[in-house]
Amino acid sequence: MKEDFPILSRQVNGRNLVYLDNAATTQKPHCVIDAMNQYYSLSNANVHRAVHTLAGEATEGYEKCRSLLKERYNASRAIITSGTTESINLVAHAWGEANLEDGDAVILTEMEHHSDIVPWQMLAERKSIELRYVPVIDGNLDMDIFDASLDGTKLVCVVHTSNVLGVRNPIEDIITKSKLAGAKVLIDAAQAVPHEEIDFEQLGADFMAFSAHKMCGPTGIGALLVSENAFEKMQPFMGGGDMIQTVSITGSTYQVNEHKFEAGTPRIAEGVGWAAALEWMSNIDLEKHHSRLINIARHVKQELVSKGMTVYSQLGEKDAAVVSFTHPSIHPEDFARLLDAQGIAVRTGHHCAQPLMERLGVSGTIRASFYIYNDEDDANTFLNGIDRVLEAMA
Amino acid sequence: MKWPDALQEIIDEFKEIEDQFEKLEILMDFSSKVDELPTSDWNDETLVKGCQSVAHVKIDVNDGKVWLKSAADAKMVQGLQGILTIAINGNGVNEVLALTPEFAEEAGILNSLTPSRSNGFRTMFDMIQLMVRRSQ
Repeated sequence: MKEDFPILSRQVNGRNLVYLDNAATTQKPHCVIDAMNQYYSLSNANVHRAVHTLAGEATEGYEKCRSLLKERYNASRAIITSGTTESINLVAHAWGEANLEDGDAVILTEMEHHSDIVPWQMLAERKSIELRYVPVIDGNLDMDIFDASLDGTKLVCVVHTSNVLGVRNPIEDIITKSKLAGAKVLIDAAQAVPHEEIDFEQLGADFMAFSAHKMCGPTGIGALLVSENAFEKMQPFMGGGDMIQTVSITGSTYQVNEHKFEAGTPRIAEGVGWAAALEWMSNIDLEKHHSRLINIARHVKQELVSKGMTVYSQLGEKDAAVVSFTHPSIHPEDFARLLDAQGIAVRTGHHCAQPLMERLGVSGTIRASFYIYNDEDDANTFLNGIDRVLEAMA
Repeated sequence: MKWPDALQEIIDEFKEIEDQFEKLEILMDFSSKVDELPTSDWNDETLVKGCQSVAHVKIDVNDGKVWLKSAADAKMVQGLQGILTIAINGNGVNEVLALTPEFAEEAGILNSLTPSRSNGFRTMFDMIQLMVRRSQ
Protein backbone atom coordinates (compact mmCIF):
# COMPACT_ATOMS: atom_id res chain seq x y z
CA MET A 1 0.00 0.00 0.00
CA LYS A 2 2.67 2.56 1.03
CA GLU A 3 4.45 2.26 -2.30
CA ASP A 4 1.36 3.72 -3.98
CA PHE A 5 1.94 6.99 -2.11
CA PRO A 6 5.14 8.78 -3.19
CA ILE A 7 5.10 11.21 -0.26
CA LEU A 8 5.33 8.36 2.24
CA SER A 9 8.86 7.58 1.13
CA ARG A 10 10.19 11.05 1.94
CA GLN A 11 12.11 12.05 5.03
CA VAL A 12 11.21 14.81 7.46
CA ASN A 13 13.90 16.18 9.76
CA GLY A 14 16.16 13.31 8.80
CA ARG A 15 13.64 10.58 9.66
CA ASN A 16 11.22 8.53 7.58
CA LEU A 17 7.90 10.33 7.53
CA VAL A 18 5.15 8.85 9.70
CA TYR A 19 2.00 10.65 8.65
CA LEU A 20 -0.74 10.57 11.30
CA ASP A 21 -2.70 13.70 10.37
CA ASN A 22 -5.16 11.91 8.13
CA ALA A 23 -8.28 13.40 9.68
CA ALA A 24 -7.01 16.76 8.36
CA THR A 25 -6.12 15.46 4.93
CA THR A 26 -4.98 12.19 3.40
CA GLN A 27 -2.06 11.59 1.06
CA LYS A 28 -2.52 11.00 -2.67
CA PRO A 29 -1.65 7.85 -4.57
CA HIS A 30 0.41 7.97 -7.78
CA CYS A 31 -2.68 7.50 -9.94
CA VAL A 32 -4.30 10.72 -8.66
CA ILE A 33 -1.14 12.77 -9.18
CA ASP A 34 -0.64 11.22 -12.63
CA ALA A 35 -4.26 11.82 -13.68
CA MET A 36 -4.07 15.52 -12.80
CA ASN A 37 -0.68 15.84 -14.46
CA GLN A 38 -1.96 14.12 -17.57
CA TYR A 39 -5.05 16.30 -17.68
CA TYR A 40 -3.00 19.50 -17.62
CA SER A 41 -0.40 18.05 -20.01
CA LEU A 42 -2.79 16.72 -22.62
CA SER A 43 -6.46 17.66 -22.16
CA ASN A 44 -6.71 21.05 -20.48
CA ALA A 45 -9.75 22.99 -21.76
CA ASN A 46 -12.90 24.48 -20.34
CA VAL A 47 -15.78 22.08 -19.91
CA HIS A 48 -19.26 21.75 -21.33
CA ARG A 49 -20.07 23.99 -24.30
CA ALA A 50 -17.11 24.04 -26.66
CA VAL A 51 -17.12 21.47 -29.48
CA HIS A 52 -13.39 20.91 -29.86
CA THR A 53 -11.66 17.67 -28.85
CA LEU A 54 -9.91 18.97 -25.74
CA ALA A 55 -13.16 20.42 -24.36
CA GLY A 56 -14.77 17.03 -24.95
CA GLU A 57 -12.01 15.25 -23.06
CA ALA A 58 -12.11 17.77 -20.21
CA THR A 59 -15.88 17.47 -19.91
CA GLU A 60 -15.74 13.72 -19.98
CA GLY A 61 -13.00 13.65 -17.33
CA TYR A 62 -14.86 16.05 -15.05
CA GLU A 63 -18.30 14.49 -15.44
CA LYS A 64 -16.81 11.05 -14.84
CA CYS A 65 -16.19 12.20 -11.28
CA ARG A 66 -19.91 12.93 -10.84
CA SER A 67 -20.90 9.57 -12.34
CA LEU A 68 -18.51 7.71 -10.04
CA LEU A 69 -19.83 9.59 -7.02
CA LYS A 70 -23.43 8.74 -7.88
CA GLU A 71 -22.50 5.13 -8.44
CA ARG A 72 -20.34 4.74 -5.32
CA TYR A 73 -22.85 6.36 -2.97
CA ASN A 74 -26.06 5.40 -4.75
CA ALA A 75 -27.23 8.99 -5.15
CA SER A 76 -29.37 10.51 -7.86
CA ARG A 77 -27.96 14.04 -7.40
CA ALA A 78 -24.32 14.95 -6.81
CA ILE A 79 -23.44 18.64 -6.81
CA ILE A 80 -19.72 19.23 -7.11
CA THR A 81 -18.47 21.87 -4.69
CA SER A 82 -15.15 23.05 -3.28
CA GLY A 83 -15.54 20.74 -0.30
CA THR A 84 -17.62 19.96 2.79
CA THR A 85 -17.68 23.59 3.92
CA GLU A 86 -19.08 24.87 0.63
CA SER A 87 -21.53 21.97 0.50
CA ILE A 88 -23.00 22.91 3.88
CA ASN A 89 -23.06 26.59 3.01
CA LEU A 90 -24.86 25.66 -0.20
CA VAL A 91 -27.58 23.89 1.79
CA ALA A 92 -27.92 26.93 4.08
CA HIS A 93 -28.32 29.28 1.10
CA ALA A 94 -30.01 27.18 -1.59
CA TRP A 95 -32.34 25.18 0.67
CA GLY A 96 -32.36 27.05 4.00
CA GLU A 97 -33.20 30.47 2.57
CA ALA A 98 -36.08 29.07 0.54
CA ASN A 99 -37.53 26.56 2.97
CA LEU A 100 -36.90 27.73 6.54
CA GLU A 101 -39.33 30.22 7.98
CA ASP A 102 -39.21 32.45 11.02
CA GLY A 103 -39.69 30.35 14.14
CA ASP A 104 -38.41 27.10 12.58
CA ALA A 105 -35.77 25.21 14.50
CA VAL A 106 -32.52 23.67 13.23
CA ILE A 107 -30.82 21.00 15.33
CA LEU A 108 -27.02 21.01 15.53
CA THR A 109 -24.75 19.14 17.91
CA GLU A 110 -21.84 20.18 20.09
CA MET A 111 -19.75 17.70 18.12
CA GLU A 112 -20.03 19.62 14.84
CA HIS A 113 -17.04 21.00 12.97
CA HIS A 114 -17.20 24.80 12.71
CA SER A 115 -18.23 24.35 9.07
CA ASP A 116 -21.53 22.85 10.27
CA ILE A 117 -22.13 25.53 12.92
CA VAL A 118 -21.15 28.88 11.44
CA PRO A 119 -23.30 28.71 8.24
CA TRP A 120 -26.36 28.11 10.45
CA GLN A 121 -25.45 30.89 12.84
CA MET A 122 -25.11 33.18 9.81
CA LEU A 123 -28.51 32.03 8.52
CA ALA A 124 -29.96 32.67 11.98
CA GLU A 125 -28.72 36.26 11.64
CA ARG A 126 -30.67 36.60 8.39
CA LYS A 127 -33.79 34.68 9.46
CA SER A 128 -35.41 34.21 12.86
CA ILE A 129 -34.61 30.53 13.14
CA GLU A 130 -33.81 28.80 16.39
CA LEU A 131 -30.60 26.75 16.69
CA ARG A 132 -30.87 23.84 19.12
CA TYR A 133 -27.62 22.16 20.16
CA VAL A 134 -27.49 18.51 21.22
CA PRO A 135 -24.93 18.18 24.03
CA VAL A 136 -22.12 15.64 24.13
CA ILE A 137 -22.08 13.45 27.24
CA ASP A 138 -19.09 11.18 27.84
CA GLY A 139 -18.07 11.49 24.20
CA ASN A 140 -21.51 10.65 22.76
CA LEU A 141 -24.51 12.66 21.67
CA ASP A 142 -27.21 12.99 24.32
CA MET A 143 -29.98 11.25 22.40
CA ASP A 144 -32.63 12.11 25.03
CA ILE A 145 -32.02 15.79 24.36
CA PHE A 146 -32.01 15.09 20.64
CA ASP A 147 -35.43 13.39 20.90
CA ALA A 148 -36.76 16.26 22.98
CA SER A 149 -35.49 18.83 20.45
CA LEU A 150 -37.26 17.41 17.41
CA ASP A 151 -40.62 19.12 17.87
CA GLY A 152 -40.75 22.15 15.55
CA THR A 153 -37.47 21.23 13.88
CA LYS A 154 -37.24 21.54 10.08
CA LEU A 155 -33.63 20.51 9.65
CA VAL A 156 -31.22 18.28 11.56
CA CYS A 157 -27.51 18.83 10.89
CA VAL A 158 -25.25 16.16 12.31
CA VAL A 159 -21.71 14.98 11.90
CA HIS A 160 -21.52 11.31 10.91
CA THR A 161 -18.07 10.72 12.43
CA SER A 162 -16.34 13.22 14.70
CA ASN A 163 -13.05 14.68 13.47
CA VAL A 164 -11.88 15.07 17.07
CA LEU A 165 -12.99 11.90 18.80
CA GLY A 166 -13.53 9.57 15.86
CA VAL A 167 -16.91 8.66 17.35
CA ARG A 168 -19.41 7.39 14.81
CA ASN A 169 -22.84 8.77 15.68
CA PRO A 170 -26.08 6.73 15.50
CA ILE A 171 -26.87 8.27 12.13
CA GLU A 172 -29.50 5.70 11.11
CA ASP A 173 -31.46 6.29 14.32
CA ILE A 174 -31.14 10.08 13.94
CA ILE A 175 -32.42 9.95 10.36
CA THR A 176 -35.38 7.69 11.22
CA LYS A 177 -36.47 9.91 14.11
CA SER A 178 -35.96 13.11 12.12
CA LYS A 179 -38.04 11.79 9.21
CA LEU A 180 -40.84 10.82 11.59
CA ALA A 181 -40.78 14.36 12.94
CA GLY A 182 -40.92 15.75 9.39
CA ALA A 183 -37.41 17.22 9.45
CA LYS A 184 -34.82 17.13 6.68
CA VAL A 185 -31.39 15.73 7.56
CA LEU A 186 -27.96 16.99 6.56
CA ILE A 187 -25.06 14.63 7.24
CA ASP A 188 -21.52 15.99 7.50
CA ALA A 189 -19.74 12.92 6.15
CA ALA A 190 -16.25 14.41 5.76
CA GLN A 191 -14.77 11.89 8.20
CA ALA A 192 -17.17 9.11 7.28
CA VAL A 193 -16.58 8.50 3.58
CA PRO A 194 -12.88 7.72 4.07
CA HIS A 195 -13.73 4.94 6.51
CA GLU A 196 -16.96 3.25 5.51
CA GLU A 197 -19.10 2.45 2.52
CA ILE A 198 -22.28 4.54 2.49
CA ASP A 199 -25.48 4.01 0.53
CA PHE A 200 -27.01 7.48 0.46
CA GLU A 201 -30.38 6.35 -0.88
CA GLN A 202 -30.69 3.63 1.71
CA LEU A 203 -29.49 5.90 4.51
CA GLY A 204 -32.44 8.18 3.75
CA ALA A 205 -30.75 11.52 4.49
CA ASP A 206 -31.60 14.57 2.38
CA PHE A 207 -28.11 16.04 2.13
CA MET A 208 -24.66 14.57 2.55
CA ALA A 209 -21.53 16.73 2.42
CA PHE A 210 -17.95 15.54 2.07
CA SER A 211 -14.52 16.38 0.63
CA ALA A 212 -12.26 14.58 -1.82
CA HIS A 213 -9.02 15.27 0.01
CA LYS A 214 -9.96 13.18 3.04
CA MET A 215 -10.25 10.11 0.82
CA CYS A 216 -7.03 10.27 -1.21
CA GLY A 217 -8.41 12.81 -3.69
CA PRO A 218 -7.25 16.37 -4.39
CA THR A 219 -7.93 19.38 -2.18
CA GLY A 220 -10.39 22.05 -3.32
CA ILE A 221 -13.15 19.72 -4.41
CA GLY A 222 -16.02 17.98 -2.66
CA ALA A 223 -19.63 17.07 -3.12
CA LEU A 224 -23.12 17.54 -1.86
CA LEU A 225 -25.39 14.56 -2.42
CA VAL A 226 -29.04 15.55 -2.41
CA SER A 227 -32.25 13.54 -2.35
CA GLU A 228 -34.53 14.15 -5.33
CA ASN A 229 -37.19 15.59 -3.06
CA ALA A 230 -34.86 18.11 -1.42
CA PHE A 231 -33.20 18.92 -4.77
CA GLU A 232 -36.53 20.14 -6.17
CA LYS A 233 -36.84 22.61 -3.33
CA MET A 234 -33.40 24.19 -3.73
CA GLN A 235 -33.08 27.62 -5.30
CA PRO A 236 -29.97 28.73 -7.22
CA PHE A 237 -27.51 30.39 -4.88
CA MET A 238 -24.59 31.62 -6.94
CA GLY A 239 -25.28 33.12 -10.35
CA GLY A 240 -23.00 33.08 -13.38
CA GLY A 241 -21.90 31.04 -16.34
CA ASP A 242 -22.62 27.32 -16.62
CA MET A 243 -25.66 27.44 -14.30
CA ILE A 244 -27.98 29.12 -16.83
CA GLN A 245 -30.01 27.97 -19.83
CA THR A 246 -30.60 31.40 -21.30
CA VAL A 247 -29.70 34.95 -20.30
CA SER A 248 -31.29 38.14 -21.62
CA ILE A 249 -31.36 41.65 -20.28
CA THR A 250 -34.85 41.00 -18.92
CA GLY A 251 -33.92 37.87 -17.00
CA SER A 252 -32.39 34.39 -17.03
CA THR A 253 -33.48 30.78 -16.93
CA TYR A 254 -31.52 28.17 -15.06
CA GLN A 255 -30.22 24.70 -15.68
CA VAL A 256 -32.41 22.00 -14.23
CA ASN A 257 -29.70 19.56 -13.20
CA GLU A 258 -26.80 19.87 -10.73
CA HIS A 259 -25.15 22.50 -12.95
CA LYS A 260 -27.73 24.94 -11.58
CA PHE A 261 -25.58 25.03 -8.43
CA GLU A 262 -22.19 25.04 -10.10
CA ALA A 263 -21.76 28.56 -11.48
CA GLY A 264 -18.49 29.38 -13.19
CA THR A 265 -15.67 27.22 -14.48
CA PRO A 266 -15.51 24.19 -12.20
CA ARG A 267 -12.47 22.46 -10.65
CA ILE A 268 -11.76 20.35 -13.70
CA ALA A 269 -8.31 18.96 -12.87
CA GLU A 270 -9.49 18.25 -9.33
CA GLY A 271 -12.53 16.44 -10.72
CA VAL A 272 -10.25 14.33 -12.89
CA GLY A 273 -8.03 13.64 -9.89
CA TRP A 274 -10.97 12.74 -7.67
CA ALA A 275 -12.30 10.37 -10.32
CA ALA A 276 -8.92 8.62 -10.28
CA ALA A 277 -9.06 8.43 -6.47
CA LEU A 278 -12.59 7.00 -6.55
CA GLU A 279 -11.53 4.34 -9.04
CA TRP A 280 -8.50 3.50 -6.89
CA MET A 281 -10.67 3.37 -3.75
CA SER A 282 -13.10 1.01 -5.45
CA ASN A 283 -10.41 -1.67 -5.11
CA ILE A 284 -9.87 -0.98 -1.42
CA ASP A 285 -11.71 -3.03 1.19
CA LEU A 286 -12.54 -0.26 3.66
CA GLU A 287 -14.14 -2.63 6.15
CA LYS A 288 -11.02 -4.77 6.33
CA HIS A 289 -8.80 -1.73 6.79
CA HIS A 290 -11.17 -0.31 9.36
CA SER A 291 -10.95 -3.32 11.66
CA ARG A 292 -7.15 -3.34 11.27
CA LEU A 293 -6.84 0.37 12.03
CA ILE A 294 -9.22 0.42 14.98
CA ASN A 295 -7.11 -2.30 16.59
CA ILE A 296 -3.96 -0.25 16.02
CA ALA A 297 -5.67 2.82 17.47
CA ARG A 298 -6.83 0.87 20.52
CA HIS A 299 -3.30 -0.38 21.13
CA VAL A 300 -2.02 3.20 20.84
CA LYS A 301 -4.71 4.39 23.26
CA GLN A 302 -3.78 1.73 25.78
CA GLU A 303 -0.10 2.67 25.59
CA LEU A 304 -0.81 6.39 25.87
CA VAL A 305 -2.96 5.84 28.95
CA SER A 306 -0.19 3.75 30.53
CA LYS A 307 2.22 6.63 29.84
CA GLY A 308 -0.01 9.04 31.78
CA MET A 309 -1.98 10.60 28.96
CA THR A 310 -5.72 11.37 29.00
CA VAL A 311 -7.29 9.86 25.87
CA TYR A 312 -10.65 11.29 24.79
CA SER A 313 -11.43 8.84 21.96
CA GLN A 314 -13.53 5.85 22.95
CA LEU A 315 -12.68 3.83 19.82
CA GLY A 316 -15.87 1.82 19.60
CA GLU A 317 -16.29 -0.84 16.92
CA LYS A 318 -17.53 1.61 14.24
CA ASP A 319 -15.50 4.67 15.30
CA ALA A 320 -12.72 6.05 13.12
CA ALA A 321 -9.12 5.35 14.14
CA VAL A 322 -8.59 8.78 15.68
CA VAL A 323 -6.75 9.11 18.98
CA SER A 324 -7.17 12.49 20.67
CA PHE A 325 -5.20 12.98 23.84
CA THR A 326 -3.57 15.41 26.21
CA HIS A 327 -0.70 15.20 28.68
CA PRO A 328 -1.23 16.60 32.19
CA SER A 329 1.60 19.12 31.88
CA ILE A 330 3.12 19.16 28.37
CA HIS A 331 1.49 21.69 26.05
CA PRO A 332 0.04 20.04 22.90
CA GLU A 333 2.05 22.39 20.68
CA ASP A 334 5.32 21.42 22.34
CA PHE A 335 4.35 17.78 22.03
CA ALA A 336 3.58 18.05 18.32
CA ARG A 337 6.76 20.00 17.55
CA LEU A 338 8.91 17.43 19.29
CA LEU A 339 7.15 14.66 17.37
CA ASP A 340 7.64 16.54 14.10
CA ALA A 341 11.34 16.81 14.90
CA GLN A 342 11.28 13.00 14.73
CA GLY A 343 9.41 12.94 11.40
CA ILE A 344 6.00 12.23 12.95
CA ALA A 345 3.09 14.39 11.76
CA VAL A 346 0.16 14.84 14.16
CA ARG A 347 -2.25 17.72 14.68
CA THR A 348 -2.85 19.90 17.70
CA GLY A 349 -5.34 22.56 18.64
CA HIS A 350 -9.11 22.77 18.75
CA HIS A 351 -9.55 20.94 15.42
CA CYS A 352 -12.19 23.48 14.33
CA ALA A 353 -14.53 22.15 17.01
CA GLN A 354 -14.36 24.67 19.83
CA PRO A 355 -17.78 23.84 21.36
CA LEU A 356 -16.63 20.23 21.74
CA MET A 357 -13.33 21.37 23.29
CA GLU A 358 -15.32 23.41 25.76
CA ARG A 359 -17.39 20.35 26.63
CA LEU A 360 -14.21 18.28 27.07
CA GLY A 361 -12.82 21.04 29.27
CA VAL A 362 -9.62 21.52 27.26
CA SER A 363 -8.36 24.24 24.92
CA GLY A 364 -6.93 21.68 22.53
CA THR A 365 -5.74 18.11 22.10
CA ILE A 366 -3.04 16.24 20.25
CA ARG A 367 -4.63 14.09 17.56
CA ALA A 368 -3.12 11.09 15.83
CA SER A 369 -5.40 9.88 13.04
CA PHE A 370 -4.65 6.68 11.12
CA TYR A 371 -5.56 5.79 7.56
CA ILE A 372 -5.41 2.85 5.18
CA TYR A 373 -1.67 3.19 4.45
CA ASN A 374 -0.68 3.31 8.16
CA ASP A 375 0.52 0.16 9.83
CA GLU A 376 1.76 -1.17 13.16
CA ASP A 377 5.27 0.08 12.42
CA ASP A 378 3.88 3.62 12.21
CA ALA A 379 2.13 3.15 15.54
CA ASN A 380 5.32 1.86 17.16
CA THR A 381 7.42 4.71 15.75
CA PHE A 382 4.80 7.11 17.09
CA LEU A 383 4.88 5.51 20.55
CA ASN A 384 8.69 5.54 20.60
CA GLY A 385 8.52 9.20 19.61
CA ILE A 386 6.18 9.84 22.53
CA ASP A 387 8.69 8.18 24.87
CA ARG A 388 11.46 10.46 23.63
CA VAL A 389 9.25 13.52 24.20
CA LEU A 390 8.39 12.39 27.72
CA GLU A 391 12.06 11.80 28.45
CA ALA A 392 13.05 15.24 27.14
CA MET A 393 10.31 16.99 29.08
CA ALA A 394 10.81 15.08 32.36
CA MET B 1 22.34 41.29 8.82
CA LYS B 2 24.45 42.31 11.79
CA TRP B 3 22.87 41.32 15.08
CA PRO B 4 23.73 42.47 18.62
CA ASP B 5 26.48 40.27 20.09
CA ALA B 6 24.26 38.40 22.56
CA LEU B 7 21.81 37.55 19.81
CA GLN B 8 24.54 36.56 17.35
CA GLU B 9 25.89 34.16 19.94
CA ILE B 10 22.47 32.49 20.22
CA ILE B 11 22.09 32.31 16.45
CA ASP B 12 25.50 30.66 16.16
CA GLU B 13 24.61 28.18 18.89
CA PHE B 14 21.48 27.10 17.04
CA LYS B 15 23.28 26.93 13.70
CA GLU B 16 25.69 24.38 15.12
CA ILE B 17 22.89 21.94 15.98
CA GLU B 18 21.82 19.69 13.15
CA ASP B 19 19.31 17.47 14.93
CA GLN B 20 15.91 19.14 14.99
CA PHE B 21 14.90 17.54 18.28
CA GLU B 22 18.03 18.86 19.99
CA LYS B 23 17.42 22.29 18.51
CA LEU B 24 13.98 22.37 20.10
CA GLU B 25 15.40 21.16 23.41
CA ILE B 26 17.86 24.06 23.38
CA LEU B 27 15.04 26.44 22.48
CA MET B 28 13.08 25.23 25.51
CA ASP B 29 16.13 25.74 27.73
CA PHE B 30 15.91 29.46 26.97
CA SER B 31 12.63 29.53 28.89
CA SER B 32 14.75 29.97 32.03
CA LYS B 33 15.78 33.40 30.73
CA VAL B 34 12.22 34.75 30.84
CA ASP B 35 11.53 37.59 33.25
CA GLU B 36 8.12 36.28 34.33
CA LEU B 37 5.06 38.48 33.92
CA PRO B 38 2.83 37.51 36.85
CA THR B 39 -0.70 36.36 35.96
CA SER B 40 -2.09 39.26 37.99
CA ASP B 41 -0.65 41.57 35.29
CA TRP B 42 -2.21 39.66 32.38
CA ASN B 43 -4.87 41.56 30.48
CA ASP B 44 -6.16 42.12 26.96
CA GLU B 45 -3.34 44.58 26.30
CA THR B 46 -0.65 42.03 27.18
CA LEU B 47 -2.27 39.06 25.38
CA VAL B 48 -0.56 37.99 22.14
CA LYS B 49 -3.33 37.30 19.67
CA GLY B 50 -2.79 34.78 16.89
CA CYS B 51 -0.67 32.47 19.04
CA GLN B 52 -2.03 28.94 19.56
CA SER B 53 -0.72 28.95 23.10
CA VAL B 54 -1.58 31.56 25.71
CA ALA B 55 1.17 34.18 25.65
CA HIS B 56 1.54 37.60 27.32
CA VAL B 57 4.15 40.33 26.97
CA LYS B 58 4.69 43.67 28.74
CA ILE B 59 7.29 46.34 28.15
CA ASP B 60 8.76 48.84 30.62
CA VAL B 61 11.05 51.65 29.50
CA ASN B 62 13.19 53.22 32.23
CA ASP B 63 15.82 55.85 31.47
CA GLY B 64 15.72 54.93 27.82
CA LYS B 65 16.32 51.22 28.54
CA VAL B 66 13.80 48.59 27.56
CA TRP B 67 12.73 45.69 29.83
CA LEU B 68 10.53 42.79 28.71
CA LYS B 69 8.36 40.72 31.00
CA SER B 70 6.53 37.77 29.50
CA ALA B 71 4.74 34.48 30.09
CA ALA B 72 3.35 31.58 28.05
CA ASP B 73 1.87 28.15 28.66
CA ALA B 74 3.90 26.37 25.95
CA LYS B 75 7.55 25.75 26.69
CA MET B 76 8.69 26.63 23.17
CA VAL B 77 6.95 29.99 23.28
CA GLN B 78 8.64 30.55 26.62
CA GLY B 79 11.94 29.70 24.90
CA LEU B 80 11.29 32.32 22.24
CA GLN B 81 10.41 34.81 24.95
CA GLY B 82 13.65 33.91 26.71
CA ILE B 83 15.66 34.73 23.59
CA LEU B 84 13.75 37.99 23.16
CA THR B 85 14.49 38.79 26.80
CA ILE B 86 18.22 38.42 26.14
CA ALA B 87 17.95 40.45 22.92
CA ILE B 88 15.95 43.25 24.53
CA ASN B 89 16.53 43.68 28.23
CA GLY B 90 18.71 46.62 29.16
CA ASN B 91 19.11 47.79 25.57
CA GLY B 92 18.15 51.22 24.31
CA VAL B 93 14.90 51.99 22.55
CA ASN B 94 16.57 52.47 19.18
CA GLU B 95 18.46 49.21 19.43
CA VAL B 96 15.26 47.33 20.21
CA LEU B 97 13.42 49.03 17.37
CA ALA B 98 16.26 48.10 15.01
CA LEU B 99 15.73 44.39 15.71
CA THR B 100 13.81 42.32 13.18
CA PRO B 101 12.15 38.94 13.69
CA GLU B 102 14.38 37.42 10.99
CA PHE B 103 16.97 36.50 13.60
CA ALA B 104 14.73 33.56 14.52
CA GLU B 105 14.72 32.48 10.89
CA GLU B 106 18.47 32.79 10.61
CA ALA B 107 18.90 30.65 13.72
CA GLY B 108 16.59 28.09 12.17
CA ILE B 109 14.09 28.53 15.01
CA LEU B 110 11.27 30.03 12.99
CA ASN B 111 11.46 27.30 10.38
CA SER B 112 11.20 24.77 13.12
CA LEU B 113 7.90 26.18 14.33
CA THR B 114 4.37 25.64 13.05
CA PRO B 115 3.02 28.34 10.72
CA SER B 116 0.58 29.52 13.35
CA ARG B 117 3.32 29.57 15.95
CA SER B 118 5.60 31.43 13.57
CA ASN B 119 2.84 33.91 12.95
CA GLY B 120 2.33 34.11 16.69
CA PHE B 121 6.02 34.82 17.14
CA ARG B 122 5.91 37.58 14.55
CA THR B 123 2.79 38.99 16.19
CA MET B 124 4.54 38.88 19.56
CA PHE B 125 7.61 40.57 18.11
CA ASP B 126 5.57 43.30 16.40
CA MET B 127 3.55 43.82 19.56
CA ILE B 128 6.69 44.34 21.63
CA GLN B 129 8.06 46.93 19.19
CA LEU B 130 4.70 48.71 19.10
CA MET B 131 4.70 48.84 22.91
CA VAL B 132 8.23 50.32 22.82
CA ARG B 133 7.19 52.94 20.26
CA ARG B 134 4.12 53.88 22.29
CA SER B 135 6.17 54.26 25.45
CA GLN B 136 8.14 57.13 23.94
